[in-house]
Formats: sequence, structure tokens, C-alpha cells
Amino acid sequence: MKKTILLGMFILLCVAVTVGLAQTGVKKKRPLPYEYGRVVMNGLSGQAGLPAVEFDHWLHRTRFTCRLCHVDLAFAMKAGGTNVRAVDNAKGFYCGACHNGKKDGTGKRLFESCAVTYTREDLHRCEQCHSRGRTVKREYDFDAVSGRFPKERFGNGINWEKAEADGLIKLVDELPGVSIHRQPMKVQKDFTIAAENKGIPEIIFSHKKHTVWNGCEVCHPEIFIGVKRGATKYSMVEIYNGKFCGACHGSVAFPLLDCQRCHSKPVQPA
Amino acid sequence: MKQVLLAALLLVVAAGTANSQWDLPRNLPPEEYGTVLIDRTSAQNTVVPVVFSHIVHRRKHTCRVCHFEIEFNFKTNTTEITEAASRGGKFCGTAGCHDGRTVFGHDKPNCERCHRGTRAADKKDIDALTALPKSRFGNGVNWVKALEKGLIKPLTHLTMPQTDLSFDKRLLLEAEWNNIPPALFPHREHVAWLDCNNCHPDIFNIKKKTTKHFSMVRILKGEFCGVCHLTVAFPMDDCKRCHPKIR
Repeated sequence: MKKTILLGMFILLCVAVTVGLAQTGVKKKRPLPYEYGRVVMNGLSGQAGLPAVEFDHWLHRTRFTCRLCHVDLAFAMKAGGTNVRAVDNAKGFYCGACHNGKKDGTGKRLFESCAVTYTREDLHRCEQCHSRGRTVKREYDFDAVSGRFPKERFGNGINWEKAEADGLIKLVDELPGVSIHRQPMKVQKDFTIAAENKGIPEIIFSHKKHTVWNGCEVCHPEIFIGVKRGATKYSMVEIYNGKFCGACHGSVAFPLLDCQRCHSKPVQPA
Repeated sequence: MKQVLLAALLLVVAAGTANSQWDLPRNLPPEEYGTVLIDRTSAQNTVVPVVFSHIVHRRKHTCRVCHFEIEFNFKTNTTEITEAASRGGKFCGTAGCHDGRTVFGHDKPNCERCHRGTRAADKKDIDALTALPKSRFGNGVNWVKALEKGLIKPLTHLTMPQTDLSFDKRLLLEAEWNNIPPALFPHREHVAWLDCNNCHPDIFNIKKKTTKHFSMVRILKGEFCGVCHLTVAFPMDDCKRCHPKIR
């Protein structure tokens, strides 16, 4: 009995210490440039006896728009939110829509994603994605890829916006047989969004910069209702918690560190 | 049974109190306060550790330039500084800093200027402080006044200009203990040196009263205000400067 109570108290103490450490008043570790935007997917890999999948946004966004995968291929915006099964990939959904062993538009053969049956020789191919915790020789090297692009602070250290605008990357936005061809829309002018607090510069929001990558559907209507300006109310706290702008900016698009990249309109003297 | 429970409880309380002694960290001599010895890989590679002097750098640059733009972490030895990175134009070697044009670079005769392995300051750097307003602790310099009076004109940015921030919210922070008057936090004096991101949201949440465990004990252990105000910004010996009504 005594032992049980002591053990109980010990556990309580441990819980108290852990809860106490949940928020610390110090800076968090920032991901390194090649880690930024890396998504670890471990929905079903464990069951199949494989390491979790590591997906690098920096590699895929050199060729494709966000919209292609997150709208047309129906990938969720949250790691683990899609729960892709091997059989789905094998049938040509999700990763399998591109990674099907056939040649893509540029004549490059993309390795086949999951299959229903495996041989020992397939292991190398599996490890191209199921690489968590393993040392895998990858086809693409971060330094070599990022070296081609204009530099920037934070995130991947790559100015993706400029890389696209300068024509250094040509984004594919449509996948034959999956996407529908859409007519380009008239580009709306940049507009300002007021900050909640007095003295904080207003946000200049550019639809033009966002639609290059996202079309309309990545953000509207789920993240921002967007039927009428001001219809969605949100705060910086929610954004830091991964909602609204924080759905992308914080994990993949330039991080929220860069306050004044959005809050960029000079404050009018009172 | 009850006795065992009581004893255990007492033990927990005793451990808690012992933990919360008001021991202020020992301060370095004024000219060495804020000087950092960086030795992440130096000694391993048989190179003398680097000395970085905040008093020399903060006369010419705000905290924001290095800790925001150039991405130096706040904690010593946690930034992956390498000679190759610095030579390649990152960290110390960023264009406009130690690039060999603006100030001395990473070439041969200059190695020992940083790889010195000692906190001892140069006489000319100590002398440069004498013209600045005095303060009782830390470097003995009131840096806030020095900036306000225009006695120092530190650069606020290298490449990314800071939008004019007129944010001047003053927060009254109630103390945990009844007999301690509240602390007064002025945003304006902080914004003059720092970027929003230097403190928010990692160190302090942005919503009032949602920052948890924000206590003096934790501050003295180097969290919250203690991230800067123990090692570089004026130290905690100066109670009155934050708790103005304290006696």
C-alpha cells in the first residue's frame, strides 16, 4: 500500500515536471534549411514494417505548384491528414499519380511508388521515400538544388517567389488525366489588411503572388471563406497555431519569423 | 499512512523552495559583461575559441541585425557557424560585416582578432564606453539612453529595412508576491533594438496573460526576460529598472 502511494506521488511529480516544461520561455530550435518543409508521414508505414515516409517540399516545389498536389491530388495540408495507403498509390492516386514508373512530361522516368507485392530488390526503391531514421543516398542533393536559386533568409534559404518570377523554375500546374484546364483569371490588385494592434504596420496582401502557386482552391473556401472581404476573422495567435496564413507560413512557405514581410505598410504618423 | 503522505508532500514542498532561492548569477566585470566565448567546434579542431564582444558590436548594430537578419541564435554554441559558412558570406562573413571590405575578413593576419580565447577587452573598446551614459550594473552603460540621445547610431538592418514600428504598448506585469510592486514593460525601448520575432511567440506569447510559468524563478534561470537580461542586456541586480516602485 505504502509503495503504491509513493509510486503514485512519484508519477504525479513526473507529470507536474513534464507539464511545467511544456512551455519554456526560451527560443525554439529552428529547422535547418534542408529540414524546413520536411513532412514525416507515418500513417500506415509501421504496419507494413517500413520506416515512416519523409517528404521534402523543397524538391517537389521546384517543379510543381502547391495546388497540383493539395487540390488535384487531394493531399491534406496537415502531415498524416491523408493517410495514404500503398494500394492507393499502386492504383495511381496520391504519390502514384506521378510516381508510376512511366515517363513524365520532361521525358524523365519517375520511380514507381508502392506496389502490392515486393521483392528484396525493391527495397532500394521503397527507401527513396520510406527513409525516416535511415541513411539513404538520394537522387537530389539540397545544396546542389538550392545553389541554383536566389538566396533568402529563413525557411529553406531560397527565395521561391523570385526563383519562379525569374523563370528559374517552371511550375507544372496540370497533370493530364487528373487536372482540368482552367482559364487564367484577372489578377486583383494588392490590398491592405489592418493589424489588430495600433502601431503595428498593416499587412499588404498580394493575390498575384499567392495564385501562382495556389490557384484559388488551396485557400478558398476552407481556410478563408473569401466570399466577401472581412468575412473571415482571425488573429495572430490563431495563425501561430497553424490556422489561416499559418496553414502554410510556418511549415512550408516562408516562416512567420519574417513579421515585416507581411506587415510591410509603413505606419502613418498619428 | 497519512504520515507517509504528509512526509512525501513536505519533501516535495521543501525541494520546491530550495529551488527558488534568490541567487543572482555572479556578474562578470563591466568590460567583460556580454562577451561570449564561442567554442562549438574550435577546441575540437585545435583552434582557439572565438571571442565575441557585445559591447563592441552593439554600438554599431542593433540586436536585430545579427539575431534576426543573420540568424544567430541567442544561446551560445547553438548556431552552426563554420569557417566555410562565414567565408561563404554567412554569419560573421555576411556582406556588410566581416566580408573583408566593410570590416576585416577571414584572411590570414586576421584570425587572432577573433580566435583569441579570452574575454579580456581591448583598451580602446573600454575607452569608447566612457562617453556613454552610466548605469550601475552590467557594462556600466545605459544603452537605452545612449540610443535615445543619439550618442550611438547602430544600424537597424543590412538588407531588409525595418518598417517603421511605432508600437508602444506598455504592459503592467503583476508580481507573483503581494509585497512586490508590478513590473513595467515598455515595448518602445525594446523595439528600438529588437525584431518582434526575437521575443514572439517563442519566448512570450502575443496574447496577454497567456504566457505560462512566467515567474521570477524561471527568469533567473535564463528563461523569458532572462534570455537577454542576465548575460547581455542590463542584469537583474537592477530590480528598480523593471519594478520601478520597489523599495
